[in-house]
Amino acid sequence: MTEEMPRSSYTTENRANANLVRDTVRVIRGEQTKTYVVAEEHDDGSLLLTPAMPEQAPAERNLGDRGSALADRAEPVEGQRHEPSIILAVSDLSVSYGAKKAVVDVTLEILRGEIFGLLGPNGAGKTSTLSAIEGLVKPKAGTVLLDGIDIRRHPAQAKAKMGVQLQATSFQSQLAIKQIVQLYAGLYGSKLSDHEITEGLKAIGLEGEATKPFKQLSGGQQQRLSLYIAVVHEPVLLLLDEPTAGLDPQSRRQLWTRIEHLRQQGGSILLTTHSMEEAQAVCDRVAIIDNGTVLTTETPLDLIEKHKDDPRVRAVAHGEVTLEDVFIGLTGSEIRE
Amino acid sequence: MSSVTNVQPTAEPPLRLVLTSLLRADFVVFVKNRRTLIISILLPLFLLVTTNSSKALQHFGGALYVIGLAIAYGMAATSIMGYALTVARDREKGVFQRLRVTPAPTWTIMASRLGMQVIANLIIALVIVIVGTRLHHISLSAGQYGLVLLVAILGGAVFLSLGQALVGLVKSADTINAAGRLILIALILLASLGQSGALGSAWESIARWSPVGTVMTLFAGVLNLSAWSHHDSLTLAVCVAYIVVFAGIGIRWFQWDAR
Repeated sequence: MTEEMPRSSYTTENRANANLVRDTVRVIRGEQTKTYVVAEEHDDGSLLLTPAMPEQAPAERNLGDRGSALADRAEPVEGQRHEPSIILAVSDLSVSYGAKKAVVDVTLEILRGEIFGLLGPNGAGKTSTLSAIEGLVKPKAGTVLLDGIDIRRHPAQAKAKMGVQLQATSFQSQLAIKQIVQLYAGLYGSKLSDHEITEGLKAIGLEGEATKPFKQLSGGQQQRLSLYIAVVHEPVLLLLDEPTAGLDPQSRRQLWTRIEHLRQQGGSILLTTHSMEEAQAVCDRVAIIDNGTVLTTETPLDLIEKHKDDPRVRAVAHGEVTLEDVFIGLTGSEIRE
Repeated sequence: MSSVTNVQPTAEPPLRLVLTSLLRADFVVFVKNRRTLIISILLPLFLLVTTNSSKALQHFGGALYVIGLAIAYGMAATSIMGYALTVARDREKGVFQRLRVTPAPTWTIMASRLGMQVIANLIIALVIVIVGTRLHHISLSAGQYGLVLLVAILGGAVFLSLGQALVGLVKSADTINAAGRLILIALILLASLGQSGALGSAWESIARWSPVGTVMTLFAGVLNLSAWSHHDSLTLAVCVAYIVVFAGIGIRWFQWDAR
């Protein structure tokens, strides 16, 4: 994802074609213009560049009216100078449970403000990858850097920047909703007043449920509360493990609206899902993982475009090729346990 | 190649706020689970009342030993059946996983729970000592009450570490429930029958040095400080050894996830 531009390719000749705008660089190659963020400026004049958000974000193409908000993210923002555009860098991550290799040399990079989908059949290694990022399992090898912080070396600092919604959320059954919010806000270093908690619950439509235990909430209400708790500290990265599983269409739609809202506030989202339609509609980029290995990482449209003529994909497609066809084509049709 | 460098970490939540939040939540759980505590007090109180005859007292080695035995029962019940089972159930439900993805250090999660359990043990010890001493017309000085609380922390730690070992070695909450009951019954029978000599001298010795036997002896010792002996000091050392061994097992093999 990142390019260390060799001196020969980015010196006098290239500077002539480059516009330096604050800490971003627009490089013109032929008819193509690419925007980079300057991550490092070396003494010899060479620059270490990371790609800025795509000039036309993939989600912009997928999501129509959200385009303007997404396009704004590519512009330099005052006060965010020299921040790398990669918010999460997972390198050569391997996770094993005894002799079983759940994740093998997974490398991912998630950009600031991006919704990234991790897709895979059951047992492919999605949750294990997320668990390693969340610090729940100790990876056998590899590194996870969140906003530049090594999760293994500085777990508390990294977790303070991360919001997590697990596949199955459970809180102590004796605690009321208000007490749960108070607990988790405190664990993230926020001391919320009663008024702030009430306002927060009101915002997610749970103002009347503050004294109820978590298990008395409906599935959609539980999901809303889990998401609220996951972002109570305004994390830079939100990890969602199958967030829409078991939700009705209304709750699902509402969840995506909230996730999109979080992204527009500058957060990045890494999610796993079995719903290819959702992934195609919502994710800027997706990675397909199977048997613990990342098979491909693309924008949903690029993925379809790249594999639409693959015989394995054609064999399962009915009419126009969809992301689901590509997914089944690449990972196989057999049912996984 | 990635441009993301390993930068210096940013601020993490203040430890005091983390601990306060956990303790507040665990206190709410503790208060809502007060029936467990009441049951843990009722069983030893029943023992105190039913053994309030001279023959029975002689059988157990005197009133002080009966009070010690009652406290040991209460603490064993709440530590093994209360603490271990709650931890196992929360682990199965994924409560710990949710807590572990927060910046809270893992030791704070356990320390908060153990803190509440220590409070439970102190309440049990105080209630039983007050009832027991009144029942047997024993008067204690303020210093002795202080020592009772100190021994309640130490004796409670023996059973808490035993509970921790159980939850470290066994994953399933159902199995812990069954095993916990068995261990509790075995400890009660061992102390009750073995200590009395009814099962012979070998069992009497085993009972005396069992977790319940040692904690019971310690309580009897502080309730009658003038008779503190070398045997009591040795018992104190054995209690510490139990704590180290059981806690070591419980920490070494404890898994946060039941899967």
